[in-house]
Amino acid sequence: MPNASDTEERTVEGTAGRSAGGFTPPGWVRNATLVVGAALVLLFPELVPNAYVLSAGVIVACYACTATAWSFMGGFTGYVSLGHAAFFGLGAYGTGLLIRDLSLQPFLAWLLAGLIVLVVTVPVGIAALRVRGASFVIVSISFVLILLLVFQAWEDFTGGANGLNVPRPFADLYRPDHHRIFYYLFVALLAVMLLTWWVIDRSRFGAGLKAVREDEDKAEALGVPTRDYKLAAYLISATFTALAGGLYALWFGDLDPIFQFSILLGAYMVLMALLGGARNLFGPLVGAVVVGTALEYFKLEFGDTQLHLVTTAALLGIVVLFMPDGIIPAAGALLRRLGPRQASIREVTAEELLARNERRAAAGGAGAPEGASRDAPDGASGGAGEPDSESEGGR
Amino acid sequence: MSEKATETAAAVGLETVALTRSFGGVRAVDEATVTFRDGRINALIGPNGSGKTTFFNCVTGMIKPNSGSVLFRGKEITGRAPHRIARGGIGRSFQLCRIFPRMTVLENLLVAVRTDGLRQLLAPSRDARAIERARGLLVRVGLDHLENAEAGAISYGQQKLLELAGVLMSDPDTIMLDEPAGGVNPSLIGRIGALVRELNAEGKTFLIVEHNMEMVMSLSDHVVVFDRGRPIAEGPPSVVREDPRVLEAYLGV
Ligand SMILES: Nc1ncnc2c1ncn2[C@@H]1O[C@H](COP(=O)(O)OP(=O)(O)OP(=O)(O)O)[C@@H](O)[C@H]1O
Ligand SMILES: [Mg+2]
Repeated sequence: MPNASDTEERTVEGTAGRSAGGFTPPGWVRNATLVVGAALVLLFPELVPNAYVLSAGVIVACYACTATAWSFMGGFTGYVSLGHAAFFGLGAYGTGLLIRDLSLQPFLAWLLAGLIVLVVTVPVGIAALRVRGASFVIVSISFVLILLLVFQAWEDFTGGANGLNVPRPFADLYRPDHHRIFYYLFVALLAVMLLTWWVIDRSRFGAGLKAVREDEDKAEALGVPTRDYKLAAYLISATFTALAGGLYALWFGDLDPIFQFSILLGAYMVLMALLGGARNLFGPLVGAVVVGTALEYFKLEFGDTQLHLVTTAALLGIVVLFMPDGIIPAAGALLRRLGPRQASIREVTAEELLARNERRAAAGGAGAPEGASRDAPDGASGGAGEPDSESEGGR
Repeated sequence: MSEKATETAAAVGLETVALTRSFGGVRAVDEATVTFRDGRINALIGPNGSGKTTFFNCVTGMIKPNSGSVLFRGKEITGRAPHRIARGGIGRSFQLCRIFPRMTVLENLLVAVRTDGLRQLLAPSRDARAIERARGLLVRVGLDHLENAEAGAISYGQQKLLELAGVLMSDPDTIMLDEPAGGVNPSLIGRIGALVRELNAEGKTFLIVEHNMEMVMSLSDHVVVFDRGRPIAEGPPSVVREDPRVLEAYLGV
């Protein structure tokens, strides 16, 4: 075998072997954070001053479930769905309607609604995943808009704009106890999701999904059945979102298409997941705690003004522009910058890489065959040969 | 190098019959009927825009041909999903080197591990056997010292080697390379050439699109020349080089 690396490359960036995945805190910091975090989450109902704050905690826990559920698709594959409220609404209405019309036991109705959404999502997913990038965003929005119109118009069945009343599963409980139970139910659902996430994250399936996020066509060329993988991630994401919606229906007891099938709810999921870091196990949860708490606070302080909308929009803009990977990686990068300098590790920026490639191409071009002029390695003409790749999915 | 086997002796590997693909009015691949035999290092050359990459894309299922067919070892594979073609034993690299930039070098290879069935799907991606195989390939292409580097941060030449290792990880028996020497420095070109020869000796068939004539002439057993989407000449490199039609196509006389 020839030598490992020719001299030029070694000297230029033979040491550029910076570990991917960025900043990793020492093990004990991680474990301590986990233990303290889990303790805070579990003890929250005991620490709150009143039932109002407890109910806000239920809402934030529900947000955490939806944001985490969203990330099974948005985080792993990079397909940004703005219409995930569709699954939330379907799960909520499915649960309510099954109880009302079939008199099912509430939690049986809840699970069955999740199953129904799983089945319904198969054709929806097959249709939606035919497109990528911005088109996928549009398709996801249209799906939730269609459902909104249907659920509003079909008054006899859904109650329309008059709303749907979902009987409470624990009729004889006082409000604070009701909140407490549902707080823990949401936390339990979240725990199941986090466990599922952890399994997928380290699996071959997860590796395939992340490959889709980076370069879908390349993944296909390496033998990854990307369509099936994406569909599976979509189904998992939709079903978990529906289960969160169903729990919400049982807790809140009153559904209205405007709120359940709302684009705003979908946008919150995106914001929370991206803010916390959709590629990180706890990212969406952290994002939900930050954004959810802020939203509840705004509601309390300023009432039903449109201020929270403006703030949400501004936050979404800031996150997308400045912290595309979310708070956790951003904080990690900050810590790394403040921490001891690691002189040997040098990042190569995209511009540098591009510039270098161009230099190489120019050098290589000199040796081109008889008169066949070649510019950049792929340059103007050849690049057109590759099918358009937008697997970054709107990010 | 001369023809490894006579036209009849080596088994037919990849074949296209009247393969056609147009973009708007441009017939990028125009009724191309070509045969590549197994066990050889085949080269596909032609001026810029003569349809080589489009031909690759049609063969590997990345784009659908308008008409005509693609056969691999006698079986029709036209229009199959790219991952099925890949699993069927045809690996490819891309003209504009494509890797997963935000994964580590090692993780890039683990993507190509074949998975069938739910249990394998949920099995850890970093299992010992896969890692061992991946490390072996990294040693082969000379990237073992960069195992944990972020793939987007290594040099372009190293990325090309990584892409090749990824293709090898998917264990194809026919390997299609779109301009392996494009944009890399001369010493690396030498290394890639040596690697191709080595793999060929181990039984891998190659189909290489390349503008670097030195590489084509020294490496290949059989050369097919494309012009305006169809083959205009083929044969051993020494013969093709002298063919007046080839000179004309390249010089545009
Ligand atoms: N996706 C596309 N859309 C439109 N036209 C395309 C597309 N891909 C290729 N073409 C056109 O088809 C023709 C063949 O292009 P192709 O990239 O296959 O040539 P090539 O032989 O690979 O060239 P090069 O040596 O420059 O890589 C060109 O005229 C090109 O402009
Ligand atoms: Mg090309």
